[in-house]
Parts: sequence; structure tokens; C-alpha cells
Amino acid sequence: MISEKLTLKNAQGFHMRPAGVFAGEMGKFSSDVKIKFNGNEINGKSLMNIIAACIKCGSEIEITCDGADEQDALDKAVELINGGMGE
Amino acid sequence: MLSATGASKGIGIGKVLIIKEQDLSFEPKTIENIEEELQRYRNAVESFCKNTEKAVEKLKESASEKEADILMGHILMIKDPYMNGEIERLIKMNQCAESAVDTVCDMFITIFGSTDDELTKQRATDVADVRISLLCLLLGIEEKSIADVPKGTVIVAKDLTPSMTAGIKKENVEGIITETGGKTSHSAILARALEIPAVLSLESACKILSDGEQVIVDGTEGIVINNPDKKQLSEYTQKREIYLKEKEELKKYIGKETLTKDGIKVELVGNIGKPDDTDNVIDCDGEGVGLFRTEFLFMDRDTAPTEEEQFEAYKKSAIIMKEKPVIIRTLDIGGDKDIPYMHLEKEENPFLGFRAVRYCLKNRELYHTQLRALLRASAYGNIKIMVPLVTSLNELMEVKEMISQIKTELDKENISYNKNIEVGVMIETPAASLIADVLAKEADFFSIGTNDLTGYTMCVDRGNKNVSYLYSPFEPAVLRSIEHIIKCAKAENTPVGMCGEAAADPMLIPLLISFGLNEYSVTPSSVLETRKNISNWSKAEADKIAQTVMSLKTKEEIIKHLSSVI
Repeated sequence: MISEKLTLKNAQGFHMRPAGVFAGEMGKFSSDVKIKFNGNEINGKSLMNIIAACIKCGSEIEITCDGADEQDALDKAVELINGGMGE
Repeated sequence: MLSATGASKGIGIGKVLIIKEQDLSFEPKTIENIEEELQRYRNAVESFCKNTEKAVEKLKESASEKEADILMGHILMIKDPYMNGEIERLIKMNQCAESAVDTVCDMFITIFGSTDDELTKQRATDVADVRISLLCLLLGIEEKSIADVPKGTVIVAKDLTPSMTAGIKKENVEGIITETGGKTSHSAILARALEIPAVLSLESACKILSDGEQVIVDGTEGIVINNPDKKQLSEYTQKREIYLKEKEELKKYIGKETLTKDGIKVELVGNIGKPDDTDNVIDCDGEGVGLFRTEFLFMDRDTAPTEEEQFEAYKKSAIIMKEKPVIIRTLDIGGDKDIPYMHLEKEENPFLGFRAVRYCLKNRELYHTQLRALLRASAYGNIKIMVPLVTSLNELMEVKEMISQIKTELDKENISYNKNIEVGVMIETPAASLIADVLAKEADFFSIGTNDLTGYTMCVDRGNKNVSYLYSPFEPAVLRSIEHIIKCAKAENTPVGMCGEAAADPMLIPLLISFGLNEYSVTPSSVLETRKNISNWSKAEADKIAQTVMSLKTKEEIIKHLSSVI
């Protein structure tokens, strides 16, 4: 299991579009992907769970990947979060 | 005449068509054959995705990518492993598909709806929309669509859902009236994207209005008139034509720089009262924020806003504006406002009393919190700090001293901020005007607040009917003051803007061009019109008008002259 701490940069937070992009990309990996935020663990492959978590711009989050392709999954997650999910 | 929220500008005149809500009730039953029920559910999802994809294509043609994206999100929602998994889990526990969909959608509607985040709340509407579509498919009911309404229709509904509005033909829809939803709701965004006039949140609209009756929708003012008489009808038909003509003319200024006729570039920015309004500035093509009033953060509450809360609000605006300027005015409040926790005493003359920077410098803790939040937020964009109601150099120097202390604190705590953050002065008192040369040496910028400058210069309360005739920026005293302020700023190379209503006044614009104003901050909806008005004048033409105007002796003569040349 590996993890990395990041800051969300999207101006309007983790709303539908970025959450959709993130969950969609994470769904391609076999590893479990979790987002730790405010003491909660969120399923990183679920758009609905990410939206419900109301993660706002500038929030500190920790991405945890666990599984066979965890390094690839984490690299992709970091790239997406730092790139603002293309927004 | 009925009034509610004007959510999409323009005037529509047409016949009411009430969209009734569908009956989606069903008898929940326990199912025996789980595999069969799962298949029934999966078929419904598949049809749902196909229909939605088609609707997305249609929306891309008729509205915007943004709208289409919202609908595309519905597919992501139903395909979401968690949501889909929950529904299938319930079916596997012998619930019928209708009941499983209903339960899981309801759960998310409740979760999203109970957050304090506006965007997340709006997603509850999307889940509700997904639920309607899926239940229609499962129950074999045809879903309501407004794609085929006849020409000249005013759509009246409880609310419009994205799937309902896909395929809408804008040439057939004169207006939209709904019972729920505000300026940021789906219906509002769609109406604006399609440029259909809309009035939202009109309570019991479906009951008050009846099918087939004529109705006027004024989305600019938020007015609905049912069964208009001849006079109203001709008045609004005329208004409609003027509005459409002006809109067409302004379109060519979208995305352009703000230039005088001879190519002098000025900045054209917007005034806002809430961070959410920043989007509005962008939608209206503003080049930044020239005045962000921070009072809203402090009003209607029991305690002062925390540093974190303010930081979030300022940061939000800064991020949305990216590298464009966001001028944030520090708290401008006094005894005319009732804010219990601030302990503002009732005063005989609140506008000459303990307010704005005077109050802030005596309530250091409160001001420190605001300045610190502003500095922290400055790391995220191009924030500038503006100090209101300055009357002496000391006030500006004290604020600058506080800012430099906070910078030292932040350095020690390793918190980032913009080290070169600009600190400017709002010039809105005769005192500040008279010492503008002194202030210009210390301020990074000026912004002339013409509303208060006019009031204080003319010694007039604009709300007092007996004296309000004296309240006018065309008074020679006010114009001389403005000219003087700009001249002093120019002498020190201090950029100077204007953030009162006067900045958008077409009659004042040639004068402001002649004086050399650098920045015009206006209500976002006036941006394009002001850009057009500025482009009408060359410096030489403006100088000629200003020369005459500044030699005239009364407001009446000035207005008469300006009316004759504009």
C-alpha cells in the first residue's frame, strides 16, 4: 500500500466534472483507491462518494492505492490532482 | 403583475404551457426471480444511457458544452460503482428494481441536499432527474419532454430537469417560469445558455397561471404579467425589440480589449458583493474585479467570521480570476448597520462617525483577522487590498504597518502570500481628494468611489427627498474633485480607477477618458455596454468635450452640453 498527500487545486472543489474524470480514470486500475479527507476514507473510484464528501479547493487530501498496479494508479492520481483534472 | 427571481435576461411574450409532474408511484413488491429483476434493471440502465447520450448530442447543438456536461454526468452517476452496486445489492435482497432505484437515489438526494456546498446541493437535482428517468423506463411511462412545444410557448413548470430540457428548440420557447430554483439552478443556467428569458421561484406558478393564457416574462426585472392589457402588451413589445437590438449590437464587443477609438487601452472590471459573483464577472466578460465588498461576510450572523472562513471566500474569487486583478475592499461598516457582535453604537451621524477604516483601526483584532485572511489568499491569485473612507495619510500608514507585521508573522509560520501585494486607497471623501497628491506617493493604486464622494462633497443624503436633487456627479464640485484626484495620481504614476455607478455613465465616459482614468469598475451586466461607450471616443474628442464642460458653472449647463454632444 502506498500513499501521497496532495492539495486540491480546482476552484470549485471536487465537483461533478473533476470527480467524474478522477473516478473514471481510477476505475481503470485494479488496485483499491481511497481518498482520505477530514478523517474519512472515500472510495476514489466512486464519483458519488467523492461528490458527497464536498472536498473544497485548497483542501489537503491523501490518496492511498493498494493492489498490484498501485504505483501506476498513484502516479495517475497525483498527475490528475496536480493538473486540476484538466480544468 | 407577479414578481420573482429574474434568472435569464430578456422579455418573452407567449402562451402558457404548464408541464405537469408525472405520476411515478408504484407498489413496492418482493421479487422471486432475482436474475430476471437484475436484467430488467440493467436493461433500463442501458436504455437510460442511450437516451442520455442522444440528448447530450442535441444539447451540444442547442445550448452549450457546459449543459451537455451536466447531462453526461448523469451517465457517470448511474454507472458509478458505488451507486450501481447499492442498487444491485438491494435487488439481490429481493427488492424490486423500482424500489431499489428509489431508495438509493433518495439516499444520495438527502446526502447531497444536506451539505452546505451550493454545487453539491445542485447535484441532488441531478440525482432526482436520474431517478425520474429510470423509474419512467422501469414503469414503462413515457418521459415528459418539452422538445415539441409549439412556437410562442412560455413553459411553466415546477422545475426543469436537464433530461426534460434536452432537445428544447429555443426558437419555439418565448420564456420559462418555474416554481423553484435560483440564479444558479439548472433551469437558470440552461435559460441563459439558450438566451431564453426566465423568471424562477415564482411560488405556485402552475396554479396561478393557466394553460393557453397570454403571459409576459420579463427576465431582466423578474416580472411576470398574465393576461396583459393592450397598454402593457405594446409597452413590453417595444421593450423586447429594444433589448434584442441592443444585445445584438453588444455581441461584437465580447472577448475584445477595452480601447478608446484611438486605441488607448483601459481596464474594464466588475463590482461584486460575494465570491460567487466572480463567475458572473467572467460570464459578462469583465477583465477582473475592481471592487469586492466584504460586508456580506460580516452581516446576518452572531459572531465575526473566522480567518479561515474569510480566507476561503477571498481565495475562491482569486482562483476563479486567475492572473486577473481582484481588488478587495476591507470592511466598510458603521452605525447605520445593526450588527450586534460589533457593538456599533447608534450615532447621530453614522456617515460622519465611527465606521470603515476608523472602526477597523480601533478594533485591531477584527481587522488583523481580515488582513491576514487577505494576505494568505493572495498566494492564490492577483488580490489587491483597498482601504475605504481614508481621510488622512496616517490611516493608510497604520494599515500598511499592520500588513507588514502580518507579513512577518506569515514568514515565521512559513505560510505563503504575495510579497508584493498592492495596497490602495478608495478615494471617497473630500479630504482624501484634497490630499490626493500626498496619498498617491504611498498608495499603490486609487479607486474613486463616486457614490460616497458625491454625497460627501455635496453634503447630501441621497435618500432624503428634500435634498436629493443636489446629488449628482455632474455637479462642478464633484467633477473638479474627480479631475484633481486623477491628476494627482498621474503625477505619481499611481494607477487610478473608479468603482462607483458613475464609471458606467455614458455621459461621464468622455470626461473620464480625457482626465486619463485607467480602470472602470462597473456592475458586471454593464461591462459590454461600457466597453462600447468607451470605444466611441478618441482622446482628442474627449479632451474637447472636457475642456468645455470644465469651464461651465452649473450642473444644468454641464448636462445640457453633454446631452447635445453624446
